[in-house]
Amino acid sequence: MYGLENISAHNGWAISLVGITIVFTGLTLLSLTIAQLHKILDLWENKDKYINNRNHKTLTSTPADVAPQPGMPAENLEDIHQYKLIVDRLEQPFSLPKLLDIAVKIGLERPHSTINKLLVKKIIVSDGKGYFIWKLQF
Amino acid sequence: MPASLELLRSIELFSTFTQEELEKIAPLVNPMKVMEGEILAGRGYRARTFFIVIKGNFMLSFENGKAITLHNKGDIMGWSTLVAPFQYRGTVIALTKGEVLTLPGQEFYLLLQSESVLSSKIMDEINSIIASRTPYHEA
Repeated sequence: MYGLENISAHNGWAISLVGITIVFTGLTLLSLTIAQLHKILDLWENKDKYINNRNHKTLTSTPADVAPQPGMPAENLEDIHQYKLIVDRLEQPFSLPKLLDIAVKIGLERPHSTINKLLVKKIIVSDGKGYFIWKLQF
Repeated sequence: MPASLELLRSIELFSTFTQEELEKIAPLVNPMKVMEGEILAGRGYRARTFFIVIKGNFMLSFENGKAITLHNKGDIMGWSTLVAPFQYRGTVIALTKGEVLTLPGQEFYLLLQSESVLSSKIMDEINSIIASRTPYHEA
């Protein structure tokens, strides 16, 4: 027997199928692992921050000095707190580009979008002269 | 792909344009998607593109630290493409993802040079915008 008959007689097709399945499963698992690797590395590099956040959340669900805004999701309260800390260190009324610049430099997550949310929620409002005012009272 | 006449007609800047005028300007106008944090124009750089907001929120900042935010459909950015010395006076950053219409500055300028009626309509609007924004970029 030669060729295809020989392959069929010795379970060649089934063996090939199993081989292909094993290789593709392996490659899929490998690609999924690599795709998620950044999260593991991020967790490893910032393990102190995660541990602190976890401890902080068990003590209090929101930053102590931030009053919840009606309609403001809880996850934004941390953002408000961080931006308020920056604004407190700027001259009042403050420069919006400067706030954005600092937020970018210190690596806050999605600073453009967060500042936009603060503007939309009217936590930050224009003074009408090109500078901005923090409106939310604590 | 150039913007549709329907879309142009919905923009305040072109609202007084006739069908013929819209057809002249339409080939120059292209929609462009914008990513959050994208810089559309840099202060001091040669003004090459004129922008019209379709959707999204934008911050226009000036050298003195002042800024205005633009979020309305039809808001204009990059009028410096039409006025000497053809350098952007401010920096435009997208605060959210959005969409703008772009017009190549030089071609837009040449079209306005050759079409006096069109130029008059556009420049009336541009002049009112320049007047409203001048206090922001002055020290």
